[in-house]
Amino acid sequence: MRRPAYYAGMAVLSLLFVYPIVWSGWSSVRLGDAFSLDSYRKLAEYGEGVGVYLTNTVILVLFTVAGTLLVATFAGYAFARFRFPGKGLLFVLILAILMVPYPTILIPLYVLLGWLGLQDSLLGLALVMIMFQLPFAVFMMRNAFESVPRTLDEAAMIDGCGSFGALVRVLLPAVVPGLVTVGLFAFLASWNDYVAPLILISSNERFTLPVAVVNMRLHNFGAVDYPTMQAGVVFMALPCLAIFLLLQRYYVRGFMSGALRG
Amino acid sequence: MSNSLGVRARPDRVTGAAPPAPPRRRSSGLTGLAYAAPAAVIVALFFLLPLGLVVWMSLNKWPLLAPPTFNAPGNYTQIADNALVLDAVVFTLKYTAVVTVLLFSVAFGLALLVQHRRPGIGFFRGAFFLPAAVGWATATLLFFGLLSDQIGPLNDLLEGIGLIDAPVSWTAGDPAVAFGSTVTLVIWRWAGFNMLILLTGLQAIPNEIYEAARVDGASAFQAFRRITLPLMRPTIALVLCLMITGSLLGFEQFYILTRGGPGSSTTSVVMVIVREAFVRFNLGSAAAMSVLVLAALVLLNALQLAFIRRRNS
Amino acid sequence: MDMPRRLGALLAAALLVTSCGGAETPPAGESPASQAPAAVTIKVWTRAATESHTKALAEAYNAAHTNKVEVTAYPNEEYPAKIATAAGAKNLPDLFASDVVFAPNYVSQGLWTDVTERFGALPYKDKVAPAHIKEATQDGKIYAVPHTVDVSVLFLNKALYTKAGLDPEKPPTSLKEMAEQATTIREKIGGDTYGTYFGGNCGGCNVFTLWPSVWAEGGDVMNPEGTQSTVDGPQMAAVFDVYRKLFEAGVAAPGSKEENGTTWLGALQAGNIGVAPGPSAWLGLLEEKGIDVGVAPIPGVNGGTSTFVGGDVIGISATTQQAEAAWDFLAFTLSDKVQGDLQAKSRSTVARTDLTATDPRVQTMNEVMAVGRTPYALKFNESYNDSQSPWLKTLRDALFGADPAGALKAGAATITASLNQQ
Repeated sequence: MRRPAYYAGMAVLSLLFVYPIVWSGWSSVRLGDAFSLDSYRKLAEYGEGVGVYLTNTVILVLFTVAGTLLVATFAGYAFARFRFPGKGLLFVLILAILMVPYPTILIPLYVLLGWLGLQDSLLGLALVMIMFQLPFAVFMMRNAFESVPRTLDEAAMIDGCGSFGALVRVLLPAVVPGLVTVGLFAFLASWNDYVAPLILISSNERFTLPVAVVNMRLHNFGAVDYPTMQAGVVFMALPCLAIFLLLQRYYVRGFMSGALRG
Repeated sequence: MSNSLGVRARPDRVTGAAPPAPPRRRSSGLTGLAYAAPAAVIVALFFLLPLGLVVWMSLNKWPLLAPPTFNAPGNYTQIADNALVLDAVVFTLKYTAVVTVLLFSVAFGLALLVQHRRPGIGFFRGAFFLPAAVGWATATLLFFGLLSDQIGPLNDLLEGIGLIDAPVSWTAGDPAVAFGSTVTLVIWRWAGFNMLILLTGLQAIPNEIYEAARVDGASAFQAFRRITLPLMRPTIALVLCLMITGSLLGFEQFYILTRGGPGSSTTSVVMVIVREAFVRFNLGSAAAMSVLVLAALVLLNALQLAFIRRRNS
Repeated sequence: MDMPRRLGALLAAALLVTSCGGAETPPAGESPASQAPAAVTIKVWTRAATESHTKALAEAYNAAHTNKVEVTAYPNEEYPAKIATAAGAKNLPDLFASDVVFAPNYVSQGLWTDVTERFGALPYKDKVAPAHIKEATQDGKIYAVPHTVDVSVLFLNKALYTKAGLDPEKPPTSLKEMAEQATTIREKIGGDTYGTYFGGNCGGCNVFTLWPSVWAEGGDVMNPEGTQSTVDGPQMAAVFDVYRKLFEAGVAAPGSKEENGTTWLGALQAGNIGVAPGPSAWLGLLEEKGIDVGVAPIPGVNGGTSTFVGGDVIGISATTQQAEAAWDFLAFTLSDKVQGDLQAKSRSTVARTDLTATDPRVQTMNEVMAVGRTPYALKFNESYNDSQSPWLKTLRDALFGADPAGALKAGAATITASLNQQ
């Protein structure tokens, strides 16, 4: 393929993918034909104030990312390096999470969180988010650990490390790209999810950003406040895009080491 | 540091040279179990238990507040009477077929375009992958605005170049148009993600194999058919499984963008389940449908994997 | 809004009314208000459409009571899902509101507490929107009270009427006349201006705007039990015929075909629609945009008037432990002072029929409320409102399809099936 033609084609393609995001940013600052930050002011003042929703979302994200990393690292390690009873069954069950019609399982989950005293709490919501992250996260970490040569941790064991010591000192540094990828996706999922917080959270002061933004769109029946809606979209998307671009070199490598094996 | 390790790890895996199983494995049953325990607890508590409750609900008439009454297999036999179900199944299959073919073609095409290192490639990869960073609900709201007649640029643009005479309603007018809008959204959002998975598969194929083929006089197309496709099979299988499962469970894209309309022309199976539960308050019937969908998906994925394993061996 | 503060000053009187109203007071004979040992928090759920109304009432209440009311609003479409999940976990809030047409379903599911005695003790119990009370009644017991009342009326854009040479003070008295006036406006002005507008892709909108024309001439859409659809009757066919022709002739704005309710108000607010039916609550929202609005009752094809009495009802949940305190808030919202002030401030109809309005247009709304109806059906949402409902398919086929008569006939069958589906 000739270079100029290749680059021209690629530029057009990239534009198609980037354009909607740019448009959203542009339209969020337009009021009629003028520049205006009005929609962001409305966004900031909506409901309990955007700060409350932002704080809740950040708390949820921290719980979810930390929990997912912890659980998936241990599970990935177990699947990659050990033989234990029920190994195959557990792996199949984790993958089966992907196959459940997600909205329906929320009713029993709501009941269950009530039993555990976690109803209407960000911690309970985070546990549910962790569960939904497991298929991707465990799969990813298992493959990441498998791609590390066994000689590495065996050497560590010979040096007197236990299995935990080998994990922390030798293996973890080797799977950083995998960890970043898993953390990134846990971040994206918990930052953006709409249905689970809507159903599982019942108090205004504990709502997350997506619920508030969608709520705001329908605030006035019969009229959609498009600019404010796009302001909400931008506000929600910006942190994701920033982290995404910042971590690009890690997750590309994470995918390389993690996602390949079937 | 992680960089060098990550790279060094690759060839070892690709050549499949797994070292012999170390002796400690035999005695490590309990240790492994301990590491897997947190995941097992989460799966048991937040997945199996609720799933069990869904199965139990599907065997009962389950009012919102009053105590349930056992009515099996009433909820299952009732599904056949539900006029929406058949349409939704047909639509969902059609949607899955269209999305899988288009999304896979686009994603694979992009992966082939960006597989070789050259200046600026990181920018292009990033651009294609960028939509994956936008959440599902956010992406749908974005398209809701983008396609709207009030602030969306699409109608003005198309009118400007003379393709259409009057504004088109992209989400609520012609069923085919609403369908097309939904598919476009899905491709925009997911093409980059799938591209990246496919890219990892492409890059795991050692360059020497291609060089050997070139020496033997194989054309680019022959190399693609004889080398790329067979070696990519596990990756392709993974991507297809994800696409098919995701499409069959499609919900949010219809729910926010088209609300299943116009009419019920974009109503997916999961939307019918949600309607049973949250509009008709027929929790038992919704649970029965969920169980059937889950069973179908488990079966489908098992078949898909078995098929691929057999062809591999 | 400064309404809350003004209301707050008037609370003493209102409180007196409500606390005496507690009919089934405890044996000690004390009023619940004086007996309450510690302040409690009453949780209220409502849908986004009524959020500002509910919050204003709560602020007014909180300003003068030791008990506090806390309002949480959810998106309109997801609201039933929220109720269903909370009910499934036996964890409903103390009070929750609902679109009045969904009330029969919630009542039959037992989600609200019986308030018959409490309500019966109110001095103005007979003046509280009767259509709403009927919706919330089952086997002679009342389970919810009106929260907001919204009736459907015709909105006239007076400036466009004058521009087209029509008299804005002479609103149409029949649907045919409305069609003529709309056509005149379209023909005389043209361009971006259209005669009328409707939600052609919205089941709930047309229930609200189109059924009154059927009722106005003695027709009906269902049997009283809500189990048998009669959309294949002659009045319904005549009404559809008018709207169908308005669309075919290009008098109704083209957007009518795709309007699914989300941009309905916005279309009217743009100020280029001559005459269109809509919710009375929009009067203030239209004036906000500088439109000189006239209000008229919705007529039948040849004459007569009627309206759909919509809005929300609110009841005490069956799972609450604080029924007494919850009722105190409900009685407060229905009291003379609160209702009177609402009437004056929001220029919308209110839940009481015995209060007169100063704005003649609001008075028109109040008057049609007395003749209006709220249809009763246990399966209302799934049969008429939901985007997969058979009514939506029926109305789209009847408005835009090739065979309107056939569509209505088929629709009667599918709607009846939906009304009876278990």
